[in-house]
Amino acid sequence: MSDFIQSLDPRIVRLQVREDQPFEPKEAGDQWETYEVFHQAKTGARLIHVGSLHAPSPDLALVFAKEQYGRRSTTTDMWVVRTADIFTLHRQDIDMFETAQEKLHREPQGYMEVRKYIEEFKKRQQQEGTSDGSEAGSH
Amino acid sequence: MDPKQEAIKELLIKMADDQLIIGHRHSEWIGLGPILEEDIALASIAQDKVGQSYTLFQLLHDQFGTADPDTMGFLRAENEYRCCHLVEYPNGEYDFSLIRHFLFDHAEYHRFDMLQASTFEPIRGIARKFKSEIKYHILHADVWVRRLGTGTEESHQRMQAALETAFPLALGIFEPSPYEQVLIEENFFPGEDALRQRWLETIQPILEEASLQMPDPSSVEPAYGGRRGYHTEHLAPLLEEMSWTLRYDPEAERW
Amino acid sequence: MYGGGYIPGSASPQEAPKEDPEKLAEFEEKINRGEKIEPHDWMPYEYRRQLIRMIEQHAHSEIIGALPEGTWITRAPGFKRKLALMAKVQDEVGHAQLLYSAAETLGKSREQMINDLLSGKSKYSNVFNYPAKTWADAAIIAWLVDAGAIINQTTNSKGSYGPYCRALERICWEESFHLRYGYDTVVALATGTKKQRQMVQDALNRWWRPIMHFFGPPDKISVHTEKLVRWKVKLATNDEMRQQFLNMYVPKIRELGLEIPDPILHKDPETGKWIYSDPDWDEFFRVINGNGPCNKERLAVRKKAEMMGQWVRRALRNPRQQYVTPLA
Repeated sequence: MSDFIQSLDPRIVRLQVREDQPFEPKEAGDQWETYEVFHQAKTGARLIHVGSLHAPSPDLALVFAKEQYGRRSTTTDMWVVRTADIFTLHRQDIDMFETAQEKLHREPQGYMEVRKYIEEFKKRQQQEGTSDGSEAGSH
Repeated sequence: MDPKQEAIKELLIKMADDQLIIGHRHSEWIGLGPILEEDIALASIAQDKVGQSYTLFQLLHDQFGTADPDTMGFLRAENEYRCCHLVEYPNGEYDFSLIRHFLFDHAEYHRFDMLQASTFEPIRGIARKFKSEIKYHILHADVWVRRLGTGTEESHQRMQAALETAFPLALGIFEPSPYEQVLIEENFFPGEDALRQRWLETIQPILEEASLQMPDPSSVEPAYGGRRGYHTEHLAPLLEEMSWTLRYDPEAERW
Repeated sequence: MYGGGYIPGSASPQEAPKEDPEKLAEFEEKINRGEKIEPHDWMPYEYRRQLIRMIEQHAHSEIIGALPEGTWITRAPGFKRKLALMAKVQDEVGHAQLLYSAAETLGKSREQMINDLLSGKSKYSNVFNYPAKTWADAAIIAWLVDAGAIINQTTNSKGSYGPYCRALERICWEESFHLRYGYDTVVALATGTKKQRQMVQDALNRWWRPIMHFFGPPDKISVHTEKLVRWKVKLATNDEMRQQFLNMYVPKIRELGLEIPDPILHKDPETGKWIYSDPDWDEFFRVINGNGPCNKERLAVRKKAEMMGQWVRRALRNPRQQYVTPLA
């Protein structure tokens, strides 16, 4: 059969590929479904979303994730979850995280004046203490 | 040479040869696998195998003064290789490649597990490290074999046929070494028979879960010969290809 | 791995719908402020179309790019090179995986993208339509094509689309291993025996022109879209990237005593720009249009691989599986 491609790659020669190799276009679902991958790089660190992959089941998703997202970094834990199982907001509703006014009542900056009150208090105490002393002396 | 030394050397060489040749076969799939994610997974397994082979050749060099790993791995004559026939066969399709990987890696896992207790001290730490890599290899193999064995009618039939082809070859992994007695007596390694027993006990339930029928080992002729340097017709061309660049300029000191 | 290089625009841009001017202004302000656009944000039709085209072609380039170097996987000289080449080609496949995922977030499925690659509708980087004749070709690819790719990808990683930037960030990091590996391999040959030197010089002679083509036609003949620059889809011109490449690599190549096959190549002392011979842009367009030495082989091999994997993928399909686009 001379119509196989005479490739420079011996692997391709063994595959016996023809120039007019037939191909059936992929149908939806050919590449299975998607999973999201979370990775922990060291103990004590948070698991971080590192990307997604295609798999037919959770066990294979984890087998695939181990190499695609763990082969070049230290890994202390890894999770996979079906993308379809993740619940999130519509993008147009993300603006609900914007707040209309300052929320100083729940920020540390809302409580920065204690020092001022303490200093004022101390000053007052000192002044009062001085007058107390003079009063005591007049006993 | 001391028969004890010969025994260990022979054991290490066949292990290194098996790892190199199966790693080479797996590497032929890189860029051509059934889906990107699997391509990446198998490419890692291939690298682990070739890397383990390198470590073993380095150990041989350090302990027994054999040639450097590249010379040992790439440039020996065909009949000096001690790999089993299972690893020599061309990849064929994914069915054979996976079944071979499954049968081979379960044996490897047990082999290194046993070697962790070897009285040949230098192999113990190596065996422990190899085992953690092979743990992934068998996880990978088991998931695939279970899924394809119980997938479609086509995948089931392909896997069953591949198993029947690969099984006698896989029994060749356990071809007894001429030094079997020494290995056992010196507690270097419990021997191929013991390994084969553990292997059969492990793979049988997994194959059952995969709805695959394991051939009866007592009625199958094991493919022996590889451990004595008698190989299939597939090894010589593989070695010629693998060493092609090195042989292109033997004067070269560095590539 | 290979930052797409130059890939031509689609032949028949569909009519873009009239965009809501208020949303468009908000979108552009966001990009101006240096913020990133995320998958489900509002974006102009043309932005989405161009990004899908660009990222998908980049992904195709990775998967096709695995073939010329893969040619030498089974013949790599010695353990160290064998392991490194396996790891490198694996990375290219990994990059394709990351890039297809990034393109999917824009709403085109991986199935559609692969179909468009194999039908010839969607292109990949032209450089991979050339053969890797010897081990030295694989070395030159790993060094100089990857060097070009890094320039291209580092530039693109400052773009405006979040998922593409994230993918490129990881890709560039892995690419730096490729570049070191490629350089080390070329240096081994160039500092080796006479035969090895000849091998690497021949490979450089074969690859120089495709590498000059890699960044795309000169700015004066390639179509600029001011809009794509404003939207941070395109961040540097072809000539800018080519000049950057020449600046960085011509001295390194010459240091090895290798001869670059361009007699007029030199840096103009006044402008600081490299002057080079015309690398035959007609040939470039001939190859892009399917008439290069390996175009037919590359696509036929991909088709074969996909068809061989079909029974495997089918056997694992879950009838209840539910495809949704990756989240980020």
